[in-house]
Amino acid sequence: MTITHTADVVIIGGGVAGLSTAMQLAARGASVVVLERERIGNGSTGRAAGLLGQLRGNAEHTRMLIDGVKIVRHLEQQVGVEIFVQTGSLRIAETQERAEEIAALVDMGKSIGFAIDHLQPAEVHRLLPYMRTDDLLGACYCPTDGHVQPAELVSAYLKIGKQLGVRYMTHTPVTALLIEAGRVRGVRAADSEYHAPVVVNAGGPWSYLNAELADAALPTAAIGHYYLTTRPHPDFPVDRLSPAIRDRHLRLYTRPESGGLIVGIYDFEPEVHDMRRLPVDFDMSRMKAARDSLQVAKLLEAAHARFPWIDQRTPMSITTGIMTFTPDGRPFCGKMPDLDGLYHCSGFSGHGIVQSPTIGLIMSQLILDGASSYDCESIEADRYFDMPGYVERRDIERKCRDMAGNYYGKVERPEPAAQAS
Amino acid sequence: MKILVPTKRVPDTDQKIAAASDGSSVEIDHLPFVVNPFDAIALEEAVRISERLPGVDVVAIGVGEADYEQQIRTALAMGAARGILIQCSRPLDPWNVARLLQAAVEREQPDLVLMGKQAVDDDANQTGQFLAALLDWPQATFASRIDFVDSGIRVQRETDHGLETLLVPLPAVITVDLRLNEPRYASMAGIMKARKKPLETIAAEELGVSLQPRVEVLRYHSNDSRRRGERLESVDQLAELLRQEGMPKRR
Repeated sequence: MTITHTADVVIIGGGVAGLSTAMQLAARGASVVVLERERIGNGSTGRAAGLLGQLRGNAEHTRMLIDGVKIVRHLEQQVGVEIFVQTGSLRIAETQERAEEIAALVDMGKSIGFAIDHLQPAEVHRLLPYMRTDDLLGACYCPTDGHVQPAELVSAYLKIGKQLGVRYMTHTPVTALLIEAGRVRGVRAADSEYHAPVVVNAGGPWSYLNAELADAALPTAAIGHYYLTTRPHPDFPVDRLSPAIRDRHLRLYTRPESGGLIVGIYDFEPEVHDMRRLPVDFDMSRMKAARDSLQVAKLLEAAHARFPWIDQRTPMSITTGIMTFTPDGRPFCGKMPDLDGLYHCSGFSGHGIVQSPTIGLIMSQLILDGASSYDCESIEADRYFDMPGYVERRDIERKCRDMAGNYYGKVERPEPAAQAS
Repeated sequence: MKILVPTKRVPDTDQKIAAASDGSSVEIDHLPFVVNPFDAIALEEAVRISERLPGVDVVAIGVGEADYEQQIRTALAMGAARGILIQCSRPLDPWNVARLLQAAVEREQPDLVLMGKQAVDDDANQTGQFLAALLDWPQATFASRIDFVDSGIRVQRETDHGLETLLVPLPAVITVDLRLNEPRYASMAGIMKARKKPLETIAAEELGVSLQPRVEVLRYHSNDSRRRGERLESVDQLAELLRQEGMPKRR
């Protein structure tokens, strides 16, 4: 027998995207149900490092990230837990090209009044004695950057969401979208139907499969990612407020973690996962790298180049998970033109944690007001709609994989600061 | 000196593992396979010994089907110099694995057999002991520390009563425990070199061992591992429930 539930909005996916959207919608009085196929915050969210670099090549994205910090600070006051750790961040350059990239970024940042400045290699060495600095040609420092602690962010979304009446159903995979006369009427999950005029697809790497339930092609791909976490090293202590580092030449990023260091890389040849092949109750926290994983070997090599004390024998753990990339590295937020009621909220391309605070707000505005106070042009869900080359899974995967592989690889050219006001 | 490291290819037991509906096997579709974690520790120890002492050859060996090659390559990438796959498609119990390994030891003449104390799939904890008995070699099990001394190897082993130290002359069979070391991830150079390292495949029949199955698996079945639980409103309610259901039994 089918049990029927009703709500204003059904959200598929209990990661940060779905949780933030649920909280913002409920704050405006909507009744919301979140349906999670496994456990809350245990997919990509649970594997994320949470690095926040606010200055992006696109001014509106920078604004979204800066506002996101404000939202997180407000959440911290509500729940009384530190979520954002303001360590500051550093970009370093060991090639002339990268040094120029940093110079352009500093100019762009200063033009919009963002706290960023050049840092001399000697000063970098003073800040980060555990890092190799003798090969650096330049660096810049953003004191207001840092990292968001994913587990604390999830707890805050959940706690406040519960207070606002959001219902969270775990181990409840959605098996069908209910569609009538060109619009979504709800979803089916197990022996229940959840009727709602609005359904949000916040399924992370699974979101393209959710879209396929409506015969829609969502151009995202599930991209494998690896990082290591060293255990505290007696000779190279890492302070908890030690700045995050981005070294795009070596494709790596780092941040402090419990006295050790997280080091991750955006590999140029990442793995693409076929989510359909994974069990429906797949537990991402149990993903494991093989002892002879090529990805881990590359990670170790890059980490050793920048931190010579990290090698094969360093006590560490390897975390592997799945990110959701899009062809341009920007998320999909909103509706497709041919189906009313279904909103996508996916494809954060490695930045879901830090984008989620503002994205939740944007999603609630799109759903309740029909428009957002942010310029959403670059994150519209239909920007590749029905476009040749963005319909077939194989084409989509190739383009998303290229984007993931080029991320950090290509040299950024920030958009002119004139657009940044 | 030659160290032989037997390894077993096992399903990653951190994954959800289910029995086939007819109970004849474990569902292995999409299940990742790994080198038995205890064997990886043995391998790591052997590789460390070979890095520390000159003239030490580490040979990784496995018994199984052709797809086992992947795990032997993993061992080579981690630092073993050579690999041997005893190809055998019949299901084997620890006794017969030990007999095949005995034949391999007689061929290879190693000074030391270093292996995991047990495999995480069947948890039998028998193969090392059988092998030592068949070879009539000294054995030390559950090693948590291994040191070379003049007269052989000093092994610290973990027991229920504390640490025990044994001195074993070589050749010997040593099985290793969890705390001996932390196995490495292979380096890029290691992975590249592994592709060219020798990997010999021997059909089990060539070893002249007639298999004598002693253990027959009757049926696999999955336990419902989901915990039953409910949230109670008060301590009184908990007390009432315990009165009704009885206290949980002490084990």
